Amino acid sequence: MAKYRVTVDTGGTFSDFVFFNEDTGEISIAKVPSTPKEPFQAVLNGAKELLDKGVAAKDISFFSHGTTVGTNTLLEEKGAKTGLLVTEGFRGIYEVMEQSRGYGPATYDLFFEKPRLLAPPFYTEEIPERVDFRGQALKPIDVESSLQAIRRLKQKKVESIAACFLFSFLNPDHELKIKEIAAREFPEASLSLSCEVLPQIREFYRMSTTVINAYIAPVMSEYLGRLEQRLRELGLTTPRLYIMQSNGGVATFESAAKKPVATVLSGPAGGVIASVGISQRVGIKNIITFDMGGTSCDVALIHEGNPIVTTQGRINQRPISLPMLDIHTVSAGGGTIARIDAVGGVHVGPDSAGADPGPICYDHGGEEVTITDANLVLGVIHPDRFLGGRLKLNRAKAEKLLEEKIARRLGLSTLEAADGILKIINAKMEEAIKAVSSQRGYDIRDFTLIAFGGGGPMHAGRMALDLGIPTLLIPLTPGVTSALGLLLADVKHDYVRSKLAPLKGLNLDEINGLVSQLTEQAKKDLHGEGFSDGEIALQPFLDLRYAGQGYELTVSSPMPPLKPADLDLIRRRFDAQHEQAHGHKAESEPVELVSLRLVSTGIVPQAKLSPTTPTGRKVEEALTGERKIFFGTEHGLLNCRIYSRKLLEPGHKFPGPAVIEQMDTTTVIHPEQEATVDGYLNLIVKEKKT
Amino acid sequence: MTVDPITLQVIQARLAGIVQEMQNSLFRTGFSTIIRESQDASCALLNTKGEVVAQHVVLPLHMGAFPACAQGVLRHYQPSEINEGDAFITNHPYLGGSPHAPDMAVLTPIFYRGVKPRGGHAPLRGEWVGFAADMAHKSDIGGPVPGSCWSQAREIFQEGLHLPPIKYASRFEPSRDIEAIIGANSRTPELVIGDMRGQVGAARLGERRYQELMEKYGCDTVLASFEALFALTESKVRREIASWPDGAGAGERFVDSDGIELDKPVRIHVKVEKKGDGLLFDFTGSAGQTKGPANIRPTVVRAACSYCLTALVDPALEINNGLARVVEIKVREGSVVHPYFPAPVNTYNPTVHALVEALFEAVSQIAPHKKVADGCSSRSIIIGGRSNKTGRSYVQYEIFGGGSGGRSGKDGVSGTNVNQSNARIAPVEIIESEFSTRIRRFELIPDSGGAGKFRGGLGFVREYEMLDQEARFSLRSTKHTIAPKGLEGGLGGRTGWCALNPNTAEEKIIPSRYSDHLLQPGDVVRLETPGGGGLGNPLERNPESVLRDVRNGYVTREKAGELYGVVVESANGDFALDERGTQQTRKAMQSSRR
Repeated sequence: MAKYRVTVDTGGTFSDFVFFNEDTGEISIAKVPSTPKEPFQAVLNGAKELLDKGVAAKDISFFSHGTTVGTNTLLEEKGAKTGLLVTEGFRGIYEVMEQSRGYGPATYDLFFEKPRLLAPPFYTEEIPERVDFRGQALKPIDVESSLQAIRRLKQKKVESIAACFLFSFLNPDHELKIKEIAAREFPEASLSLSCEVLPQIREFYRMSTTVINAYIAPVMSEYLGRLEQRLRELGLTTPRLYIMQSNGGVATFESAAKKPVATVLSGPAGGVIASVGISQRVGIKNIITFDMGGTSCDVALIHEGNPIVTTQGRINQRPISLPMLDIHTVSAGGGTIARIDAVGGVHVGPDSAGADPGPICYDHGGEEVTITDANLVLGVIHPDRFLGGRLKLNRAKAEKLLEEKIARRLGLSTLEAADGILKIINAKMEEAIKAVSSQRGYDIRDFTLIAFGGGGPMHAGRMALDLGIPTLLIPLTPGVTSALGLLLADVKHDYVRSKLAPLKGLNLDEINGLVSQLTEQAKKDLHGEGFSDGEIALQPFLDLRYAGQGYELTVSSPMPPLKPADLDLIRRRFDAQHEQAHGHKAESEPVELVSLRLVSTGIVPQAKLSPTTPTGRKVEEALTGERKIFFGTEHGLLNCRIYSRKLLEPGHKFPGPAVIEQMDTTTVIHPEQEATVDGYLNLIVKEKKT
Repeated sequence: MTVDPITLQVIQARLAGIVQEMQNSLFRTGFSTIIRESQDASCALLNTKGEVVAQHVVLPLHMGAFPACAQGVLRHYQPSEINEGDAFITNHPYLGGSPHAPDMAVLTPIFYRGVKPRGGHAPLRGEWVGFAADMAHKSDIGGPVPGSCWSQAREIFQEGLHLPPIKYASRFEPSRDIEAIIGANSRTPELVIGDMRGQVGAARLGERRYQELMEKYGCDTVLASFEALFALTESKVRREIASWPDGAGAGERFVDSDGIELDKPVRIHVKVEKKGDGLLFDFTGSAGQTKGPANIRPTVVRAACSYCLTALVDPALEINNGLARVVEIKVREGSVVHPYFPAPVNTYNPTVHALVEALFEAVSQIAPHKKVADGCSSRSIIIGGRSNKTGRSYVQYEIFGGGSGGRSGKDGVSGTNVNQSNARIAPVEIIESEFSTRIRRFELIPDSGGAGKFRGGLGFVREYEMLDQEARFSLRSTKHTIAPKGLEGGLGGRTGWCALNPNTAEEKIIPSRYSDHLLQPGDVVRLETPGGGGLGNPLERNPESVLRDVRNGYVTREKAGELYGVVVESANGDFALDERGTQQTRKAMQSSRR
């Protein structure tokens, strides 16, 4: 029997499945309604769909999952009752946070709030201990006080404990002592130590990350435990059960349960990794991903095949400093609302009509004009073929309200007003794309835009023209791209150890010692997850800055042991990277090391996606009709050919204006553009040669 | 030329992107802890008249300063002297628009050459179309004390090196002469020059993006859209003002002292007159100019008024010159809000906080929909010296908030900045790694938030120990003698406090403004920041909220009873509400108050 790989990405409304037949390379997809109350139920329902087709559970050789359990626990603040242990005298770190409000409107908002404390002061205990900036214990940890503190937390029925002491990234002994005591006194509580979650300088960010880990750990651990149990009951035997992490790699269920804070971007990360996979097959290396859904749009940048990673992520104002894919989110989706304010200014977003009541055209009581309504009025969306015809749209009502609420007040025709709304939302999304690309020193003309999600392929054509991005790629299944990414990801873990020291004259013995500690830990972890040495790849990095600067750049390092000559190479790389990112370098300024990093990869045998062989069908045979679409005042209303995505074959080529319809989205080809279909059935859209 | 409303919004989104990009560049390339950890820096785009077109708001006061700095440049230079590749700088409070000497403004003129014709060349000299500008606090610009803000200064000549608007770079090259002058006058020359170059870099980025914007949408469209954007903002603000009843209100606040006459509070008074869609802010009732550095320039007064208006009208307002058009102020020459040259101005923030609070009080008498009790104001400490390790001078500069005031329907926030201040707190681990101090304590202060139906936020304590070397300590604070006021029956917040070697025989209380105290190894400095005022009668506070505060250590059991009339029992390490006891206590307290 053929072996199957199964991946599932749980979204707010649907859970998307990709089934990959390892023998034939054939991919099939499924969408199953999500079950937010018991998220694993949708996962099981989807898996059963495959089994119902006659596949034996034991033939599922690989299971990988993008989950929103961690994210939602955090967003909805439904995590564990969490206790916090801090250095005596330093409760202020967690409560004061950054002290500043956000920038922009928050500065003026007299009613602003800090995010609620996930570990309230009532469950916070001070531990007599202190380590200094050299990692020396100034005051040894008071074991008896620690014991009493843990007992008090136990009495208060805390479920999870976070411990974060000053300078524990240099000397973890005191936090490890807590581990020992907790294991004895309160083994049933989950424990997160900052020296294990994120041994990195800047105490508040380390503490915030550790507390979030503690807060979601019991929920995640229970979810994964139950899911695994049910999968086993279905008959799955494969040891390869994975969860997508925010860093773009997967982790075993066991390791994700220990460090769930690493999974908060589990969903959107899949889309970025899918783009990496698609690009490798097609042979492009520089990509901007653009994922537009119902309420928000996510963009990310992939340079030379590597997605950009940040250590300054935030979820709902709460910092998470673990490396995560640098995904920039803006409130712009199909449900985003357009309105005119009292003085005649046009505003598109940030608020959204959401799924309920949704856009006007859904006819569920929505009265506010949305992006989806504008696309419908312009002719981009066909009222009878939305979501494969599952939802009939009310075009007349959308037109009427758009005319009354927007067009009339601006003195524009309904079509012009609808087009204007798209121009504004596109400008906002284009700024997000610039934020991850040109604002960081990348030349946008070297990039390919990969557009997915329900809304991506509708908007990306215009945006690529506006931005001057020469190539646009629409993958075959834009609606399940995250699930596709799960099929293509390797296991990936991050390790960090802060060490402040001048780069020049660095004590190489000490550094090599630290890196080899990280290396050994990484190997041990991957061996434990079933990888052999041949399947393990390691890459060290150094976080560097000009002495006195506040933000570090992560620079790749040669493999240890480092030799003095390597430091010169690293220095040159740093200067070059600084110039690339910030437009200038200071070759005569001293450089400081701030942290050592190691990324370990457990290489998962790749799913072989092979090109499709054309059957010889002509492009005209993929035509299903024509309709008029409004392309702005420059072009007006144009007759567009409609193609069916599932009838398109490699080699097909056709000019804009055109639309391509498929169940999960509609792609618009503008009059200035032409589309071709590549060997993997991706649509490649470029400007027509003049 | 008129710009259609759609293009207008698109251009507005683009402008927001440009200033955001400038700001990111500035934060990331800043060398000093002030830019990088505290983020005391801002960016803006201006037109050729020096009017703000777009800005990234980090510190609202910087925003008011940009037009004044640009106008300073325009007073000193003819348009024919402004060339592509120039960069102007100024930090002069009188000749430029800087709030005080450490805030250095960089402005680079933007030139537009048009779209390059196919196969042809763009014109050699483009059209001058505006400025890209940024402003950032410098760690030290000379003067008697590290950090340059001497609390006992009597003239601006004692506040560091002052640069009128001058050309710092031409043909894209910074002047070595000017860098040498600044470097020779600063205790931290590398940081100051490094930051200035970062500022020029960020402004150049703004220039390029502005040029690209013009290439895409056309020079005329972009310029015309500025005027239209001003009009949109102005009419939004005026419309809101017009919805308030006509009338007048007055507000008054006091700053602890000017740093020289330590027992003489400084009065800030404002009368606000609202008529139709206009507001007049009249500060003529404020004190005469002070001997010490509590004075502020009218530019700063204007910025503070803009801050309050934005907060009251719409925090998400698109801020540009349209807002400035609404703000009409009346100030008296020779007063604390319009001092004669060369009156000192270095410690402007306490005065601005008092002014903002007086403004909120005055406007709330006309438009009583958004009420907020007084907050903690802001303060900075400076520990400076010469490092034993490196032999270099260093300046450890930190900015602190405290509690914010109770608000209609909400408690104040603890450990936060308030009003126009918005600096991040520097991490303990960074401070200890870079400077010769150890932080001994950092925690909120119980009972420091003013009691009220909506409690004030809590202040916090920072305690420093000097390690192995001498250092000079300065404090620029306020509300150590005058408490943050409560509102509508709410009590005031706890005052701030600073002492050297507290709880020892050598304890010495340091006044809220004090410069240049010599610290010896082993000395301890303890700073307690003020809590916010409460809003509403504490006896009306929900007893459950008081219980929660007791459990979290924000309010002690004693004060819960004494101020809120809430009886909290302690049992088995937890707390419980005595509902009957609370009812009785509250009843008794209410009748004794009547």
